[in-house]
Amino acid sequence: MSADVASSHSEEAVYVYQAPVRLWHWANAGSILVLAITGYFIGSPPPAVGGEASASFLFGWIRYLHFAAAYILIIGFVFRVYWAFVGNTHARQIFLPPVWRGSFWKELFHELTWYAMIAKEPLKYSGHNPLATLTMHVMFVWGIVFMICTGLALYGEGAGMGSWQYDLFSSWIIPLFGQSQDVHSWHHLGMWLIVCFAIVHIYAAVREDIMSRQSIMSSMFSGWRTFRDGRPADDGH
Amino acid sequence: MTETFYEVMRRQGITRRSFLKFCSLTAASLGLGPTFAPQIAHAMETKPRIPVLWLHGLECTCCSESFIRSAHPLAKDVILSMISLDYDDTIMAAAGQQAEAIIEETIEKYDGNYILACEGNPPLNQEGMSCIIGGRPYLEQLKHAADHCKAIISWGSCASWGCVQAARPNPTQATPIHKVPGLAPKPIIKVPGCPPIAEVMTAVITYILTFERFPELDRQGRPKMFYSQRIHDKCYRRPHFDAGQFVEHFDDEGARKGYCLYKVGCKGPTTYNACSTVRWTGGLSFPIQSGHGCFGCSEDGFWDKGSFYDRLTDIHGFGIEADADKIGGTAAAVVGVAAAAHAGVSAIKRARQKGGEN
Amino acid sequence: MATMQTPNGFNLDTSGQRVVVDPVTRIEGHMRCEVNVDENNIIRNAVSTGTMWRGLEVILKGRDPRDAWAFTQRICGVCTGTHALTSVRAVEDALGIDIPENANSIRNIMQLSLQIHDHLVHFYHLHALDWVNPVNALKADPKATSELQQTVSPSHPKSSPGYFRDIQSRLKKFVESGQLGPFKNGYWTNPAYLLPPEADLMAVTHYLEALDFQKEIMTTRTIFGGKDIHPNWLVGGVPCAINIDGELAAGAPVNMDRLNYVKGVIDRTLEFVKNVYIPDILAIGGLYKGWLYGGGLSSTSVLAYGDIPDRANDYSPGNLMMPRGAIINGKLEEVHEVDLRDPEQIQEFVPHSWYAYPDEKKGLHPWDGITEPNYVLGANAKGTSTNIIELDEAAKYSWIKAPRWRGHAMEVGPLARYIVGYAQGHEYFTDQINRTLRTLDVPVDALFSTLGRTAARALEAEWAADMQVYFFDKLIANIKAGDTATANVEKFDPQTWPTEVKGVGFTEAPRGALAHWIRIKDTKIDNYQCVVPTTWNGSPRDNEGNIGAFEASLMNTKMERPEEPVEILRTLHSFDPCLACSTHVMGPDGQEMAEIKVR
Repeated sequence: MSADVASSHSEEAVYVYQAPVRLWHWANAGSILVLAITGYFIGSPPPAVGGEASASFLFGWIRYLHFAAAYILIIGFVFRVYWAFVGNTHARQIFLPPVWRGSFWKELFHELTWYAMIAKEPLKYSGHNPLATLTMHVMFVWGIVFMICTGLALYGEGAGMGSWQYDLFSSWIIPLFGQSQDVHSWHHLGMWLIVCFAIVHIYAAVREDIMSRQSIMSSMFSGWRTFRDGRPADDGH
Repeated sequence: MTETFYEVMRRQGITRRSFLKFCSLTAASLGLGPTFAPQIAHAMETKPRIPVLWLHGLECTCCSESFIRSAHPLAKDVILSMISLDYDDTIMAAAGQQAEAIIEETIEKYDGNYILACEGNPPLNQEGMSCIIGGRPYLEQLKHAADHCKAIISWGSCASWGCVQAARPNPTQATPIHKVPGLAPKPIIKVPGCPPIAEVMTAVITYILTFERFPELDRQGRPKMFYSQRIHDKCYRRPHFDAGQFVEHFDDEGARKGYCLYKVGCKGPTTYNACSTVRWTGGLSFPIQSGHGCFGCSEDGFWDKGSFYDRLTDIHGFGIEADADKIGGTAAAVVGVAAAAHAGVSAIKRARQKGGEN
Repeated sequence: MATMQTPNGFNLDTSGQRVVVDPVTRIEGHMRCEVNVDENNIIRNAVSTGTMWRGLEVILKGRDPRDAWAFTQRICGVCTGTHALTSVRAVEDALGIDIPENANSIRNIMQLSLQIHDHLVHFYHLHALDWVNPVNALKADPKATSELQQTVSPSHPKSSPGYFRDIQSRLKKFVESGQLGPFKNGYWTNPAYLLPPEADLMAVTHYLEALDFQKEIMTTRTIFGGKDIHPNWLVGGVPCAINIDGELAAGAPVNMDRLNYVKGVIDRTLEFVKNVYIPDILAIGGLYKGWLYGGGLSSTSVLAYGDIPDRANDYSPGNLMMPRGAIINGKLEEVHEVDLRDPEQIQEFVPHSWYAYPDEKKGLHPWDGITEPNYVLGANAKGTSTNIIELDEAAKYSWIKAPRWRGHAMEVGPLARYIVGYAQGHEYFTDQINRTLRTLDVPVDALFSTLGRTAARALEAEWAADMQVYFFDKLIANIKAGDTATANVEKFDPQTWPTEVKGVGFTEAPRGALAHWIRIKDTKIDNYQCVVPTTWNGSPRDNEGNIGAFEASLMNTKMERPEEPVEILRTLHSFDPCLACSTHVMGPDGQEMAEIKVR
């Protein structure tokens, strides 16, 4: 959508998030929630249960849920990368922040001043604003890649030598970190990185929904971006 | 004239029948199955004993002490009948110049054909003079012996990773064998552990002698046959782990029932070793069976991961030393508080703006 | 300055030929020894040097005190466990933790098994080749050897002529193979070896028997501590929970099966010590009783801290089954009380050690130790800093510090313990000593010798083997009375600790008195210091010029052939030196590490 079109049809909603992206977003959010909770318990198990060991499988279930959610997340992420190629331009945004463009940094600075409450109003975007793009790219995309790689490396330890997880991940990632315990520690720390991202992400989404010039939360349900004013969007969409 | 294991064993009064039985036991202990027994027998009947120079750097001699506790084969039989332990300052009769002369004699006679067994590691600080042999740095002796050897066995965690003297801040700059600057590029077999299991040590030796090749190693240089699986994977307490039955503190009800030691810091889930399968001193027990968690003594840098009794271990870097929950939890709290504060300020500002518009 | 007298009564003469032994082998760790011999090949000056250090006390700073046992256990894999036990005692002392009775019994069994194993392996595999000539054993008549065996130890079952013939033929082929292995370049033609071939063959046979048997002795530690070497310990008790007849007892660390195993090992150990070790010592001792060199400091200055508390948590001398006390100036009638907390008693000096103090005239108590490495050779040293030909003992010459008790150089170890026990009238020790002196037909003075040290070690192994039985019975009785507690975890959580505490723990390691001093601040180790047996025995000269126990023991010994150091090895080995213990601390690159102890 060109700037001309945007200005002439300023009140029109834009279809930003295609259905697969929305589906992925919520599946991804759900699996992260499960992963974080079960992951926390793997690090700090709940109080011991009594009785015969054969009668319960509590920790086994916690780990099973973790692994199942992890596979949903991994498959979803692989699909999401695929969709970045075949989907609309918005589907590529978080993977490829245009860091080579001067305007990107200029607008990013403006967004920072908006968050520092210096700028009177934010710019208007149908996609992500530059600050959001960069945050999602660094904290989410690379954070998830880190978690997937270290997670598969740890999973490969249990799957054993000869498993694809071991050969593709454990075999080099564990020596890279020093030893298995280090991979566990960093994987655990990675969870906290994702938690931090989630806090920022949810807060920013709520705030933008209220204070910015476009819809945020509802867009991730409907896929359509609506705007509060008729002036042209700054990202040219 | 050198003689073969078989000759030696025959001469000590061992019958051929017992000899073959020994070979099949050796095959079993190596996990090779009965079909390999004839190969072992053949190897032992025909080969002279391979010379071994066993050097000691900065160490505690626990590897040697473990070695002599081997139940199968007995250390006695390894030393008298399998290898020719020409230099080992812990047990050798000669001392001083007579001892040092042996290294030169071995190099001359068996250049490129002896095994260099390293216990401990060399320090690099103080010109290497924090470990002196014959008035000179141990580093020199090590490099000299390595230049002419066939292969190196790094016994224990000192030689393999650095171990306790290399723990932070590593004051002597104790350096594991494979990282020694200027060391001849020879095959290195790491047999980590503090100490390694006795039967693992003797099995590595008998494997080399029997099959005339080095065991298959993993990416970190450890024999796959003993170090390809975590202690956790074959721990007899694993069912309690899966059930969620843990020892909450020492000598509690769970400890008496043999519950999982995960919550009191057991590093079995992250430690590659054969403790839960081969076990110690002839298969008698291993740390977890005796009620104390594994603390990962065969892993690189296991001294520097925080307390042995903590589940979540320390991460070092950026001047921080804390576990992941402390670092991450703090970060999340900071982010959360910041978001809340930002929200508050935003709300006030918005209210003022609205007030201004009205 | 060719001759001088030391304050502790030795006349040093450096004018004769200098003999250097480096490395001294069949010890733990690395050490060097230099002596001067006069024209009659008598040692007139002795210099012993610790030639390694590792820096463990530096590494311990800032760590969790509950982990300290594991670090200090790695000081030494030969006396494995004794440092760990000392460490948990130091932490328990600092935090005021009482351990259960069962934990005390189990710890004692573990510590006693170490004494036995260490003494046995030391004698047969590190020390025997100083007395026994395996090459000479080839000349023995197996039948006569069998008769000798049956005379010295009628109850040892392995004594047939055929048995000795088999061993001899194995040995023969080994020697003829040309691959002599550990026996290569030995001093087998040296006239210092006095045994007849039959005694040599018997001893070599027992070298092999002991090598097979020793692996059993410490299997009790594999049961209680999970592995051996380096078993696991616990601040507050022992980690091995007891479950005799409860639910899931089969998977518990200590159950009926495990106790039966321990009992079997304890019984077999006692049998081996009584049937093999003790008779061998008496047989070899009887043949060497004319060789009574090596007394050194043993007749004048000996020190023991004591160990093996009968009841848990009481470390007063009356409750320690191994004696405690100090004897100085050769006055056996006066045994002094030893206080490890008194800053006036134990002090360490560095004028001849590769460290610097602000004032090297003064010694420092372990609480106030300073470390500043200072690796320099004296003006009269020969060679370079990385190629030492001869040391200059007038200057600094060892990585070992010089600890002193009220200014006296002291000998520690089994002989020191036996002398203190003898002086105090320790019933068991006195009986053993009297029996041994009678059997060998030698006067009490014969104790103060290399041979006395070696004999005391064997006697102690026998005592320890009996004590294992005592503590096993005590453990069973306590369990029978309904007490199965093994750990006190009330103060295991660091949040329950006071901000700043200090403590001291001690044991008698196989080689002698051992103590650790700890300061804990904000739940972390603020300072950790160890004074170990080989620091006492292997100490260099101090500020007054007193020579240490190793050096003193070599004085006035006649060497048969100066180029073959059989006598030097024999006497040094009688102390069972452990150099990794004595020299484990340092600071890097000459930089000062205040408050850190070095030796």
